[in-house]
Amino acid sequence: MIQLCSNDDPPVSFTVPRKAVELSKTIKTMLEDLEGFDMEQTPIPLPNVDAPTLELIVKWVEQHQDDPPPVEKPRVEDDDSDDSDADDDQEPEVVIPEWDKKFLPTDDEQKNQLFKLLNAANYLEIKPLLDIGCKYVADKISGQTVEWVRDYLNMENDYTPEEEAKLKEEIAWAEGL
Amino acid sequence: MAALEAENARLQAEIDRLGRTLTDVSERIVSGRLTGELPDNFLEQFSQLPDRPLEHVLRFLPALQVAQMRHVSRRFNHVIRKCSKSMPKKGSKGSVVFKSCNAGELTVAWIDDRSIQVAEKKLTGDEVALSELLRFCISGSIYFGEGLSAADKVLDQLSKAWLTIRPEVVVFAGDLSQTSRDSLRAFLVKVEPSIRRLNFQYTRNIDDALLSDDVIGAAGRLDGLMIMPMFLGSKLRDINIGDRTLLAMADADHISSYGSVAGCSSITPSGIRAFVEKWIKKERPKPGRQFSCCRKIQQLYELSFYNCANVTPAAVEEACGDLLKKGTMMAVTRASSVSEPGERNGQQVSFTVLCPSSNRYLHIRFHIAPNPAHIVFEPRPVNFAKDKFVFNDYVNNHEDLDPEMEDDDIDDYDGYDAIDYDDDEDN
Repeated sequence: MIQLCSNDDPPVSFTVPRKAVELSKTIKTMLEDLEGFDMEQTPIPLPNVDAPTLELIVKWVEQHQDDPPPVEKPRVEDDDSDDSDADDDQEPEVVIPEWDKKFLPTDDEQKNQLFKLLNAANYLEIKPLLDIGCKYVADKISGQTVEWVRDYLNMENDYTPEEEAKLKEEIAWAEGL
Repeated sequence: MAALEAENARLQAEIDRLGRTLTDVSERIVSGRLTGELPDNFLEQFSQLPDRPLEHVLRFLPALQVAQMRHVSRRFNHVIRKCSKSMPKKGSKGSVVFKSCNAGELTVAWIDDRSIQVAEKKLTGDEVALSELLRFCISGSIYFGEGLSAADKVLDQLSKAWLTIRPEVVVFAGDLSQTSRDSLRAFLVKVEPSIRRLNFQYTRNIDDALLSDDVIGAAGRLDGLMIMPMFLGSKLRDINIGDRTLLAMADADHISSYGSVAGCSSITPSGIRAFVEKWIKKERPKPGRQFSCCRKIQQLYELSFYNCANVTPAAVEEACGDLLKKGTMMAVTRASSVSEPGERNGQQVSFTVLCPSSNRYLHIRFHIAPNPAHIVFEPRPVNFAKDKFVFNDYVNNHEDLDPEMEDDDIDDYDGYDAIDYDDDEDN
């Protein structure tokens, strides 16, 4: 068993089976690097994850610990890409399983919890969780207006009116489809 | 003083901004519409998430919406621009056909590599909506068919930096009266990394100033070039393409390369000589490289000149005579066939240069219409209905496909085909 600690003060700790916790690539790599130390006794602090989020993460990894590992596809080399973090392991399609549908904090009141979960999944490198979370958000904003998306994602329109007009002109043809 | 004023203005702006933010926050508290709890931590905000989850969300969105989402904020715009290249692309092969059968109406049809129509959009008025191409990796062909299908407004949209199009074949077969040189050039620059064949076939209304060596040169190295304007009943207008384009075509390296030009009076016999010299030099087998003697496929490079004022068989023979007669590595035939009445120079002539060591041929032909093999026909969907008889294996192979797929909106056709970047290797 491995202990994980949230970033709260005082930290809240969760005890998770090693197999489950290794769904997080970040933690898996860390445990491998610390081979030889008695990790059962050393809580792992997670500075980016608060207690409610960590609780969700723990629930998810415990549920999915026996999942078959995702099939590793050969990476598509993107030779003209300048971003190093382009992670192009492309699944043909992401389907959110039934259990996960119920699991995801999908109420509008829990929206920020969902974003925190995405952030944690990203930080902990739990790709399947990130996939379904992002897929959920994408489904949610799919077909919605720009204003709705801004509101839903708590994003601020930081364009100047001039920039906005210019952009509008540039992609005006994208609308009305 | 000016500096102080600037500083003052900056501070005032900052105060205004803070004021607005404060009002904003107060409003949220009052209305309580922000999820019930105020963000006490940056990371709770979607907008503060790292790029990766944001990109991830965008990858799941329909292509059309991705374009619209650039409006949301600078951050979105930035991420979309940044990752549009690595966005999963739908349909790695296929054709996009632009047609304008009625004035002011543009039809865009996407046909995949199995000749199944994936989508068709009719765009009316001035609206040119091509955003569905955003995620397309067109490694097949772009065909500008009937009507004003390649007008500036269409080409300008296709030339946008954030669209990813990689056509190997581009065909202009419509009316170019509303196409300007600048837009055409920008479009060719855009497709330069992938384009291999560029055809202007039976194109109407090519303006005198539209084509030039510079414009064609923007497309980079081509394996096939056809400039064959429509001139039914009227005099063929002069096309401003000269030796430079011709010489560049000698770089082509394809199993069947071609250059078919009509009405290009700037092409000269000495230009053709330079081409032949370059071709011979290139075709000479490289030391140490063995060509299989049992190679069956004859590799052919075909040059056709049609009504090019300065190119006559006699003049070309005079200019290239020694090259064409060089017996050591070239076998030369001169074939004169029945003359076509009414043609200038009235004779169909072709020279053949053979490079036996590589089994490659160069044909130089005069007054012969372009080889039908090089004409690209408009891609059309194969129509088949599931209730009909299966006519052949081709249909048989695809009967398991969802019959509804033809009508489905692209947005539902959300395949995640790997990106084919092969074309970039030989830039």
